[in-house]
Amino acid sequence: MAPRPARAAAALVVVLALLAAGCRERPPSDGPVTLVFKHAKILGPADPVPGLLRRFEAEHPGVRVVSEALTWSSDEQHQFYVINLEGGSPPFDVMMLDVIWVPEFARAGWILDLTPLVSAAERDAHFASAIEPAVQDGRLWALPWFMNVGLLYYRKDLLAKYGLAPPRTYDELIRQVRLVQAGERDRRLDGYLWQGKQYEGGMVNVLEALWANGTRLLDEAGRPFPEPERARESLAFLRDLIVSGVSPSWVTAGDEELTRRPFGDGRAIFLRSWPYALDLFELPDSRVRGRVGVAPLPALPHGPAGAASTGGAHLAVSARTRHPALAVELVRFLTAEAAQRAMTEGAALRPSRPALFADPGLIARDPTLPALLPLIRAGHPRPVTPYYLMLSTTLQPEFSAVLVGRKSPERAIRDGAAQVEHLQQALTR
Amino acid sequence: MSDRRLGWLLLAPALALLGGVTVYPAIWVIWLSLQYRIPVFSISRWAGLAHYAFLTVDPRFWSAAGVTALFAVASVTLECGLGLGMALGLRGQRHGRRAAVALLLLAWALPSVVTAKMFEWLYHPAGGLVNFLLGGRPVNWLGDPALALPSLIAADVWRTTPFVALLCYARLLTIPAELYEAAEVDGAAGVQAFARITWPLVRPILLVALLFRTLDALRAFDLMFVLTGGGPAGTTETLTVYAYRALFQTLQVGFGSAIGVVVFALVMVVAIAYLRLIYRQEASA
Repeated sequence: MAPRPARAAAALVVVLALLAAGCRERPPSDGPVTLVFKHAKILGPADPVPGLLRRFEAEHPGVRVVSEALTWSSDEQHQFYVINLEGGSPPFDVMMLDVIWVPEFARAGWILDLTPLVSAAERDAHFASAIEPAVQDGRLWALPWFMNVGLLYYRKDLLAKYGLAPPRTYDELIRQVRLVQAGERDRRLDGYLWQGKQYEGGMVNVLEALWANGTRLLDEAGRPFPEPERARESLAFLRDLIVSGVSPSWVTAGDEELTRRPFGDGRAIFLRSWPYALDLFELPDSRVRGRVGVAPLPALPHGPAGAASTGGAHLAVSARTRHPALAVELVRFLTAEAAQRAMTEGAALRPSRPALFADPGLIARDPTLPALLPLIRAGHPRPVTPYYLMLSTTLQPEFSAVLVGRKSPERAIRDGAAQVEHLQQALTR
Repeated sequence: MSDRRLGWLLLAPALALLGGVTVYPAIWVIWLSLQYRIPVFSISRWAGLAHYAFLTVDPRFWSAAGVTALFAVASVTLECGLGLGMALGLRGQRHGRRAAVALLLLAWALPSVVTAKMFEWLYHPAGGLVNFLLGGRPVNWLGDPALALPSLIAADVWRTTPFVALLCYARLLTIPAELYEAAEVDGAAGVQAFARITWPLVRPILLVALLFRTLDALRAFDLMFVLTGGGPAGTTETLTVYAYRALFQTLQVGFGSAIGVVVFALVMVVAIAYLRLIYRQEASA
């Protein structure tokens, strides 16, 4: 045997051995306990999270909390969690979840049941509409961290100029748009902006139209479109907003930011959006500073006003954590009143605790808080089911087809219901 | 050890690596596509070809297949045509070639998500530059089912034409000037010179560009994902967007894998067809 091939073979063995060694797991160290907290980057004037985590460490000697940021896009966060939780890669202990994922993660067995650890009084300190979506099969799986609700933004100055009060019904809103547009004679002034793009936000707008007309997407047994006639009216109403010109035709491609900008530039009378927009409208260089009011979403003929969707983030504990007691402790610490106050001050988010909406210190910083309280109380969670994302991605193209006039509302409801039933059968077989 | 055996031994790490990172996952995806597997609902059982059978009658799948095909044909045709035109223009340009090449590279160098975000604002119906240039008419580029796909194709053409242009330009630079001088002496100029000299010499490289672009276009994802989310009414949902929704948004691992396998098969068929064409051309050259 020639010496050269032998040496080459030996080198190969060494390389493979090194590779194998690199793959072996390191032994667990005996040092202090480390908790890993996965969350999206908190935007806003001053990120309060690092300060809160240091305070938690000070209260729990020997514990270190490492915060790892997720990307801001909600789809990517979901993808990250799914791959890592299903794939069983190195665990994280505490995670921030979009409220619509909680039932899914609970059903998948990825998060811990918090029911025995959270007292009734502790639960009741949060909005019911924030707790409800975190309950699945009668158990509590996450605690709310901050809160969102759909709002109607209106131009105070324009409504006052024509002697109008914020609309209670959509009929009123349509009349007001006509009146103001006729009076202003500004071709560039749009009426009512909302989110009609084919995405989760579009789904939210359709759900709100269903609730505003006194109906729902799913009944208690999970059957889709329990009152098809009312659902038809809701969808026809959204399409008519576009056909009649009350809303510009481009709302069929509008998401939160694309609709917020024109309203912020003073080019629309009404806007449906989330509370974050208010902070941007009140910035010193905003063109609508001091001229924007918020009101509950208006009503359709068969339903209530203020039937807005809630949203927000919850904190849950990974089922694979090695320190469940400490991780739950961290969740309770971060969702407690003191931490939520810090989040409201530093990150301009809305707390999930009604008590904080009457907090004089917070109201001094954000005078809109008291006005938001009844709006959040009246809010609805989106359907609380482990297959919500499947439901939403299945129905989004159907609803979008109605908004752009490709399908009649009747047809979309029929096609949508058939697909949802097909889905439900596949899941329960 | 014979030289032959040594050869295999030295190839082994590369083969193992290739097997590990491409063949193994591909087989795994095919295996998954033959099962009902939805982890959230603890569903995991054999499906056989049921997912593929469903795909044949799934209107959303056929719509996505149509969108993918239309997107691929339109964007690749435009990109290759415009790219070749740009390359010829560049060669004919006397001054500022470097600046022009740098500008071309800029579009190509932008990450596609950045491009998508940029076009989101360019296409904005109320404040976008495109409508402003059209005299302020509120054209609903991304929200009108008839315009959404053409708008995405235009964005893709803007982004990837430079790639084709630079490949062709590089080839053009290697064509000796004497060829054209000789042709001119023989009385062949303009269109004739292009047909007899430029085109035959550029064609092989254009075919390679065509191959790359087609494979990319068949897997088109980021532009539609960012700009339209597949809407309105599903008119811009490609096969990969549909697969993504099934796999990562709704966790239908088996079904999503089946869509993935179809995309994979489609890409393989197209790639093999192109490669044959390229080899045949090389053999005849």
